[in-house]
Amino acid sequence: MGIRIDDLTVTYGKENVISGLSLDIPGGCFFTLLGPSGCGKTTLLRTIAGFVPAAGGSLRFNGTDVTRLPPHKRAIGMVFQDYALFPDKTVNQNVAYGLHARGERGADVARKIAEALERVGLGHLGNRHPAALSGGQRQRVALARALVIKPAVLLMDEPLSNLDAKLRIQIRETITELQREANITTVFVTHDQEEALSMSDLIGVMNRGAIEQLGTPQQIYATPRTGYVADFVGSANRLPARLRGAASGLVEADFGRGPIMATDARDGAQTDEGLVILRPESLHLSAAPQEGLQNLAATVRSRQYLGSKTSYRLDLGKGLEVVAELHGPSHDGFLPGAAVNLGINAAEARVIAA
Amino acid sequence: MMTQIRTPWFWLTVLSLALLGLFVLYPLANILTASVIGDGPNGWSRLMDNPKYLQAIWNTLILATAVTGIATLIGVPLAYVTARHSFPGKGLIALLPLITLVIPEVIAAQTWLMMLGNNGLITRALREIGLRLPSFYGWFGLITSMSFIYYTYVYIGVVSAIARFDVQLEEAAQSLGTAPGISRIKVMLPVIMPAVLASALLVFTMTVGNFAISMILSHRLPLLSVVTYQAAVAEGAADITMQSTLASVSVLIVMVVLFLNRWIVRRGKYEIVQGRGAKPQPLRGIKGAGVALLAGLVVLISLLPLISIILGAFTASRGPVMQWGNWTLANLERVFVTAPQPLINSLTYAGIATLISIGFSAVVSYLVVKKPNVLTPFVDYVSAIPLALSGTVLGVGLLASFHGGWLPLSGTAAIIVLAYVIRRMPFGMRNGQATLHNIPNSLEEASISLGVPPVASFFKAVLPVMLPAIISAGILTWTTTVAELSASILVYSGGRETLPIQVFRLIDSGLMAYASAYGLVLVAVILIPIIVAARVFRIDVFAVK
Repeated sequence: MGIRIDDLTVTYGKENVISGLSLDIPGGCFFTLLGPSGCGKTTLLRTIAGFVPAAGGSLRFNGTDVTRLPPHKRAIGMVFQDYALFPDKTVNQNVAYGLHARGERGADVARKIAEALERVGLGHLGNRHPAALSGGQRQRVALARALVIKPAVLLMDEPLSNLDAKLRIQIRETITELQREANITTVFVTHDQEEALSMSDLIGVMNRGAIEQLGTPQQIYATPRTGYVADFVGSANRLPARLRGAASGLVEADFGRGPIMATDARDGAQTDEGLVILRPESLHLSAAPQEGLQNLAATVRSRQYLGSKTSYRLDLGKGLEVVAELHGPSHDGFLPGAAVNLGINAAEARVIAA
Repeated sequence: MMTQIRTPWFWLTVLSLALLGLFVLYPLANILTASVIGDGPNGWSRLMDNPKYLQAIWNTLILATAVTGIATLIGVPLAYVTARHSFPGKGLIALLPLITLVIPEVIAAQTWLMMLGNNGLITRALREIGLRLPSFYGWFGLITSMSFIYYTYVYIGVVSAIARFDVQLEEAAQSLGTAPGISRIKVMLPVIMPAVLASALLVFTMTVGNFAISMILSHRLPLLSVVTYQAAVAEGAADITMQSTLASVSVLIVMVVLFLNRWIVRRGKYEIVQGRGAKPQPLRGIKGAGVALLAGLVVLISLLPLISIILGAFTASRGPVMQWGNWTLANLERVFVTAPQPLINSLTYAGIATLISIGFSAVVSYLVVKKPNVLTPFVDYVSAIPLALSGTVLGVGLLASFHGGWLPLSGTAAIIVLAYVIRRMPFGMRNGQATLHNIPNSLEEASISLGVPPVASFFKAVLPVMLPAIISAGILTWTTTVAELSASILVYSGGRETLPIQVFRLIDSGLMAYASAYGLVLVAVILIPIIVAARVFRIDVFAVK
């Protein structure tokens, strides 16, 4: 069951929070809305749920128009940031809530509850109250409660942001496993790029109420189309450059240190100026120039040792600075003040429209 | 706007506003307009012509100023030592809020008389050793008894402000080179000032509106609430001009005070800072003993009513003469067997009023907090208005509005219940709103997302979470409703006496033993639900505040 959004507009007061957004989420897809706070991702999710009314446009679940349908009739399952478990009810009663609302009673309900809790690994905690559970356990109950009603669409609003780092990774796996198993169309909202990249089939990066780029995690990370996406997903050096002579997918870019060849990712637009995007981990640091790379002389300004890698801040002269990361053995081999060689691979340097 | 109208919440808001308009705004409007329209000379010129009325206003302002000053001087230091220090007997201080809540003012006034009145225990004891106290009727009694009742409001308001005060501010001041004592005054005082001010002004308005103590102790000293009551009783609803004028004066005084409060708080840019509270420091030796003694004395004085009422209830009497040391059960027999009607009336009226008030305030606070629309701010404002009306003013308003006319309620039990509900509903509202702010919206949305319609979601998901708070709000409402006197005494009719009215009338006739017996039963009726809640439901009624 897919979700189809056409020309959707959402307003708060007189302000347009989302204007004219269209989106097609295929059935069974794990779709993530990624963006910083205030970008409109939660508003979009709540509009899909029906808690925020659409001022214009339409919303379809599997072809059926649900734009004017109140939320309790939309057959959604929702997982909230603060879990929103009913504190006066036990885990079993929480999971039973949606089933009872659908008029289901008796042994069948008990079986479904047991099954749902078993699936999230909480089969033994059915009689506890939410207050007696840990954060991770609460999140699992919330998940079981949303999934037991077999919703048409599963909506999750930053469900992992209240958990600590280790637990977050564990529950990520639980969520993706359950989602694949049930093959349920899912919309997941987060500001955490790692969550988005690791869990999603499809990511929509949001900025100011619009989807700036839509693609698979690989597409979003490897081929960002705008500086905003490049910077928000992973980190990126963004260098304004003069462009010349594009041919066979490459373009000559000069950000002040003479021309280098870079991959042309301008979507066919022919401009004189653009942005060179360099991912810190795609830059090659060495003592001497390296064969097969475009080499620039640089000075180490400062470094941060991060355990599995070291991040260097490099001075390229003329007020230019880039950050490079080294992973291999002895990645912390350069000291501040050292003269180093910066190697750039034309395939890993991407030029986008400024 | 259009989408708002379609929801059931909107129509519930309209209904609430209509009820509030009829029972709060309409009586208030009647008071304010009745002073200038109607037959004969208008109320304000009659007010100016009669020196008794002007004297009453002046006396009331002096009394309120004196009581506010003394209550603040007792309450603030007491709050400071209990919040920041520990000393022997500190646990006793925790009883303070309980005492003010459970002892109705009419009983407090009565017991002060039993101790310090012309024929009081202490007066007589002192007379025997040759000491003559000034008469307790008039200024001496009024200021003493009110100060020792109302300081607890200052104490309660300030103690939580000091407890919430972030000691890091104080430490920051010290780290910047200010000495501890000075930094405390410099840093803490501005932060707790709004709380001090707010509670002082609360005391001021309560003194202005006070009925029971003023009535019993003022004797020949004219006071605003007393002359208002006398005008209302003398004229009934026949001539509401004078009573409305006097009621308008108290409304105006309270409005000026509220306005001053806002102005000062806003001008000072005060901000309540919340943070790590200080760990109480123990006071030992002479200092500790001194503080404990002083605090103990204050609490003992507050407890005096309870002690003397117990003694009085079991003491035999002949007419107004108490036969101290001569025990009897006859007084209580009268309460339960011979003349039980006041007890039955109180239980019935207060019970119904509590249910209505809690139901109404739960729904209205839900609308205001969770379902705001264009009308909910008005619902919020109007439902807070009774906080600024004294019981006497409300009684006058109800008489003016519902005597005869198209909705003739006066003379029925309904008008007493109505007076109870209007007076106490704002407390339930504030309680409900505070609770609802702590319940995340996601709870209701979770219920809706699971397929339960909005209104049913409120009942199935939100209400159960509110329930403990509702029960404790209900108990608080009950305790203050059962004790209500100043509005009900204006609107009740023969045969509908409640316990406080009965106590008041018995004191008026000088029958202290009977008054004590009815008073003791009244205190029991107030205390039992609190104890049951604490023991059976494990609800601390006073933690909600």
